[in-house]
Amino acid sequence: MPTDTKRVRGPEASQSPLLFWSRPAKALPSHGPRADGRQRDQVDVRPVFVRCGLVSQAKGSAYIEAGNTKVLCCVYGPRETERRDETDMKSGRLTTDMRFAPFSCPERGSWIQGSQDKDFSLMLQESLQPAVCLHKYPRSQIEVNVMVLENSGSILAHAVTCASMALADAGIEMYDLVLGCSLRQDGGSFVVDPTYPEENSCRSGSGEKQGRLTVAFLPSLNQVSGLQSDGEMAEETLTAGIRTCIEGCYKVYPVIQQALIKAVRRAAPPPAES
Amino acid sequence: MATVQVSEAEKVYILHGIRDDLRVDGRGCEDYRHMEVETDVVSNTDGSAKVTLGHTAVLVGIKAEIGKPRPMIANEGYLEFFVDWWVSANATPEFEGRGGEELGTELSNTLYKVFNNQHSLDLKSLCISPGEHCWVLYVDVLLLQCDGNLYDAISVAIKAALFNTKIPRVHISTDEEGGKEIELSDDPYDCMRLDVENVPCIVTLCKIGHRHVVDATLLEKACSVASLIISVTHRGIITCSRKVGRGSLDPESICEMIEAGKRVGKALHPPLMKLLQQEESLGKKRQKVGFLC
Repeated sequence: MPTDTKRVRGPEASQSPLLFWSRPAKALPSHGPRADGRQRDQVDVRPVFVRCGLVSQAKGSAYIEAGNTKVLCCVYGPRETERRDETDMKSGRLTTDMRFAPFSCPERGSWIQGSQDKDFSLMLQESLQPAVCLHKYPRSQIEVNVMVLENSGSILAHAVTCASMALADAGIEMYDLVLGCSLRQDGGSFVVDPTYPEENSCRSGSGEKQGRLTVAFLPSLNQVSGLQSDGEMAEETLTAGIRTCIEGCYKVYPVIQQALIKAVRRAAPPPAES
Repeated sequence: MATVQVSEAEKVYILHGIRDDLRVDGRGCEDYRHMEVETDVVSNTDGSAKVTLGHTAVLVGIKAEIGKPRPMIANEGYLEFFVDWWVSANATPEFEGRGGEELGTELSNTLYKVFNNQHSLDLKSLCISPGEHCWVLYVDVLLLQCDGNLYDAISVAIKAALFNTKIPRVHISTDEEGGKEIELSDDPYDCMRLDVENVPCIVTLCKIGHRHVVDATLLEKACSVASLIISVTHRGIITCSRKVGRGSLDPESICEMIEAGKRVGKALHPPLMKLLQQEESLGKKRQKVGFLC
């Protein structure tokens, strides 16, 4: 397994104390209300707090908080790149980098291997690329750096939303905002915007219809720019899940729009009436 | 992915052809190219398979080793995937833009997701003694030639290689101090086989124009903006799906593509299993084709 050579990890023999916990992790019930009071089988996303323009050094930045999930994103660019090959001459390049702080997950960096980070970065790039007008930035490179401060579920979905807000805050021309939403299918019911325990609870024996799904969506163009699922789901479950995630994206849309308008007003206040 | 240079006129030609359900090599939109599967090609491995799909060739070798189980899941073995190229990415001029290493990482991460569920492979049968020893299957994929549609070829090769895998039987004995000792049985033919009924196969659907095609060549891939990768079991359960590419897809066309992918994937399993069982039944009489063809 490719190992992460950039971080200094603790000694190999150290383990999380959670392993020695005598009480076994109880599987979350698949009926009844969820732990934080939201409803199952309904598009009930966590309330979201977003703010743009936090990092002064970056061209654009955004911070999103949903429940306990905290994600920060900075955008640098457009910067000039050396001419590598023909494709750079006609359109720009978007590079993404998604990193997890070692303290962000319940286990210290244990399931976060270097290749998993790269996988998230790749999915983030595939979700953002259709929305950015790269042909307007030839020979340039736009860098998107996402840092996850706390992982409490639906991390990719919130990272996508945060990154597209940061791109908008940086003034990069885009066709549309990209919003993310994720879903966890658990037996016959689903939960939208799952928390970390909801995402990772495994129910042995229930077999089919166990899965996680993340969708990145462009609301005004009605296009899906990113899709990722794992687990075992039937085809109807998957398509229903995609529609549910799209509804979830629409729920978050007004909040994001308001935050961007506020950021623009703060940066360039409207002329005083005189 | 590797790119080919395609002119605008050629793109239009391919687009119009696909609109009328006719591809450049005469296939329909949901037809695969000629596929050849051969197992047990490398004798040093516990299981191996080579798959040739048109001009794409993939070799998978599986080695089983005894290791410590994952801390949170003490009574199961696990699989480790690694994808590599035959020649270095820089040496082949085709692989511009994205480095071969990145693509290898993307492929192996997708494989982890495909097998990240309880029913694809019975991991409990890979456990030797809970919390201490288990079988770790190292699945190493070597990409020999790339002409598009790597995911499909790799998944078929992995299924064939897992079918071919022979894991030696072990039994644990306690010695005088109370420590556990692992003994491999002396008979080289006394081995455990894996049940690959539920191992999924990956179907890649490329969106070209308004239609989607299965098993796209590099040329067709250059005309498409986005593809959907779906892994389907023989019962039609979807274990992993992922959108790749720089474009976006309409929700309606995603639903159509998922439905088509499920149909095509489900139809891929019975002939593959039949072929594998036939090959197995030939036993020693089988003529090995190998690599010189």
